[in-house]
Amino acid sequence: MRRTFIVAGRVVRQLLRNPRFLVLSVAAPLVIVYLLKIFFDTLPPTFDVARYAVPVAAFLVHFLAFLLCAIALVQERTAGTMERMFINGFRRTEIIAGYVLGFLGLATFQAVAGLTEAIWLFELDYDEETLATLFVVVWLLAIASVMLGIFISTFARHEGQVFPFVPLIILPSVFLSGLLVDVDELPTWADWLGHAFPLFWANNVIQDVIESGWTFEEVQGSLAILIGYSIVLLLLASLTLREVE
Amino acid sequence: MNAIEVSGLIKRYGRVEALGGADLSVGRGEVFGLVGPNGAGKTTLIKGLVGALRPSDGEARVMGLNPLKDRAELRQKIGYMPQGPALYEDLTARGNVGFFGAAHRTPDLRKKVDEVMNFTELSGRANDPVHTFSGGMKRRVSLACALVHRPEVIFLDEPTAAVDPQLRSRFWRTFRELAREGTTLFISTHLMDEAMLCDRIAILRKGRIIADDTPRAILEMGKTHLVVRRDGAEEEETIGGHPEDLAAALRPYGLQPGVTAIDVETDTLEAVVLSLIEKEEVA
Repeated sequence: MRRTFIVAGRVVRQLLRNPRFLVLSVAAPLVIVYLLKIFFDTLPPTFDVARYAVPVAAFLVHFLAFLLCAIALVQERTAGTMERMFINGFRRTEIIAGYVLGFLGLATFQAVAGLTEAIWLFELDYDEETLATLFVVVWLLAIASVMLGIFISTFARHEGQVFPFVPLIILPSVFLSGLLVDVDELPTWADWLGHAFPLFWANNVIQDVIESGWTFEEVQGSLAILIGYSIVLLLLASLTLREVE
Repeated sequence: MNAIEVSGLIKRYGRVEALGGADLSVGRGEVFGLVGPNGAGKTTLIKGLVGALRPSDGEARVMGLNPLKDRAELRQKIGYMPQGPALYEDLTARGNVGFFGAAHRTPDLRKKVDEVMNFTELSGRANDPVHTFSGGMKRRVSLACALVHRPEVIFLDEPTAAVDPQLRSRFWRTFRELAREGTTLFISTHLMDEAMLCDRIAILRKGRIIADDTPRAILEMGKTHLVVRRDGAEEEETIGGHPEDLAAALRPYGLQPGVTAIDVETDTLEAVVLSLIEKEEVA
């Protein structure tokens, strides 16, 4: 456990010492949400902004948390520090758990910043319970994205090999997870495929809670699946992260 | 018990055989050099010994431990300096050394980090980020990371490749100091002047060890080219590389007044290694 915190501490120190990385991971989603606001302002007043604003903010957090975590881990491999960590005695589970803890702070910050900006810019009026649930779901999605990044990084030998996974995993989730259109309107196979993406479950919760009169019982299933998604990815990552060639 | 024992170690990547049955042993406190051209299998062999690679066949023991089965125990006893820097560029030199030292549960870590920073002459830049360092300084940080937990065996993969002669000499002073304290050093190199500084060397070619002896003994496997100028004429002769061969070759000349010059040209270690490799290729 001690060594898990040592890895986490090192990950956090590295993030804090890399201003470019920090700016990209925090400022970029804020700028994109602002651009979304400008775009939505051009649409007719009947357009349902609330239906899209929070899910798009959640998607941005999902995309960046996945990409940054995957690249950071692949860089460990290309720089030789991953091999050195293993040879120095760090275990697979310690490295993965350390990364999760290290990126948890960044994911939390991204979730708070992205959500706060979306709610403020789009003048969304939600009660405290709804706001807390929205934060929890975006935060859980960010954690699942970190896990997805760790898992995918095990299949990439260099940073460039992470990018093919973006059109393979991230972009389809935009169309199949209910972000743009209701999944009921999609062909059955596409609807089912959509269930494989964490964004689907996060969007399910978001769409439920932004409607008035929602209950926790309605969303607990999707929240549980989102948590389960993270656990399964964590287990898969700890199986696929190779310690020995 | 030897520090390192390798017997019939084989590593295949598909149809490519990176190690073809390597055998060697290294005594405790020895400075052992693994010499060979690029692609000979030096890094593969080192990775097999530090438990970063699963051999296809054969056996390796380091301090009596199996590098894979006993890796948790072994990793407390070994240090590893890879070919590349393998450092966190955004962290300071002290941050890097402290991080890898902490992996070993090193007692008095702060004190040991200070000591190793002094030992590798990095104290003046200890709190600077590594990305501000020259290539040579990064190598020193990398060495400090390998030494911080005071390992009994250190594996150094081409530690002085691409460093200037001054730093190379400083590195070798450090290696000799460590060996005097009883540390075993396993150094891979393709630099022959560096190989001459080892207690013993093994020559690796296409994953097989083709010679294993002291640098002096390997040198004596070479040839000596002798040119004697006598009475205005030149007589040329190629003899063995052993000093006794030279004495035997010169004996017939005695101190004849007609002998006006003797030119003795012995093979360098590089020439001997190349000729051994060529012989293997012909065979």
